[in-house]
Amino acid sequence: MSGETRTVRLPVAERILQANDEIADSVRSELARRAIFAIDLIGAPGSGKTALLEATLRQLKGRHRPAVLVGDLATRRDGDRLARWCDRVVQISTGEGCHLEAGQVRDALTQLDLDGVDILFIENVGNLICPVGFDLGQAVKVGLFSLTEGDDKAAKHPYLVTAADLILLNKVDLAPHVSFDRAAFEADVRLLNAKVPMFSVSATTGEGLDRWLDWLDRGVAGGHRVGAT
Amino acid sequence: MHEFSIAEALMVQVVRHAPADARVKEVAIRVGALRGIEPEALQMSWEAVTHGTAIAGSTLTVDQLPWTITCSNCGRSWSSPKPFVDCSCGNVAPTPTGSDELDLVSITVDEEET
Repeated sequence: MSGETRTVRLPVAERILQANDEIADSVRSELARRAIFAIDLIGAPGSGKTALLEATLRQLKGRHRPAVLVGDLATRRDGDRLARWCDRVVQISTGEGCHLEAGQVRDALTQLDLDGVDILFIENVGNLICPVGFDLGQAVKVGLFSLTEGDDKAAKHPYLVTAADLILLNKVDLAPHVSFDRAAFEADVRLLNAKVPMFSVSATTGEGLDRWLDWLDRGVAGGHRVGAT
Repeated sequence: MHEFSIAEALMVQVVRHAPADARVKEVAIRVGALRGIEPEALQMSWEAVTHGTAIAGSTLTVDQLPWTITCSNCGRSWSSPKPFVDCSCGNVAPTPTGSDELDLVSITVDEEET
């Protein structure tokens, strides 16, 4: 051997998150096999993800058979709240992770009896940015914004708005108390995503939940299969 | 920061693709506008995850793709680092479009001539 070195550029052309995506695909296949409609719920801390799921699970009793995964850095508080309304709840503690990844979802699902389950809610870690790019094997991504976060948040989070299959605007009961330009918010959403449905809701008063529940019903029945992003 | 998770995934991927006994000098990635990657955060994350490993000191080169802005008023289309910009025709809401690639494009290594 000459002992000389040479510099070589090796093309790779591979997605950086390919390992995550492969796990997500296997989760997706398993959920499809079991006919479970899976929702990745993404929203800022305090946007009302857990409150929305509490209200939703109360309404789903007898209507569907749900299971829930909830991701947080720490504490079991959200999992405990949701366990009051659903007996299939797994709390995922991410430690330092600011988003859920497919491996965590795959592992959490092994802790559940999924027989008869037709709908799976995955409450992601409170964060409008990081979770969007990590496929979990869900059927749909739901972006949750709220009136108390400011009407510029759609413009500031274009990836979520672009990738969302549904956008929910929560806490509309607080409209008299906050200045939120709904037309401006919706215009920003439309610029980024011409077709995404948008529903206004209040997890606390129940306003708008019927539309959300109907949308979930259609998902369970096989609609909204727009695929993963 | 999702930059850290991305740097971790990238490191595993680079180690998998690098030939044995080759020293990795440069890692080239491509990032779409939608990904919202903060370049400094990604560089810091790369240094942190590779510290003390065989690929410490490798340069991370990022091809950051811009937004494409299309004006429905005058039909003009151009590239922009930011999504919400005015069109020179006066339209204050031209349409931004971004892609979401997050790809390892290539690795550059020093390998021994044999």
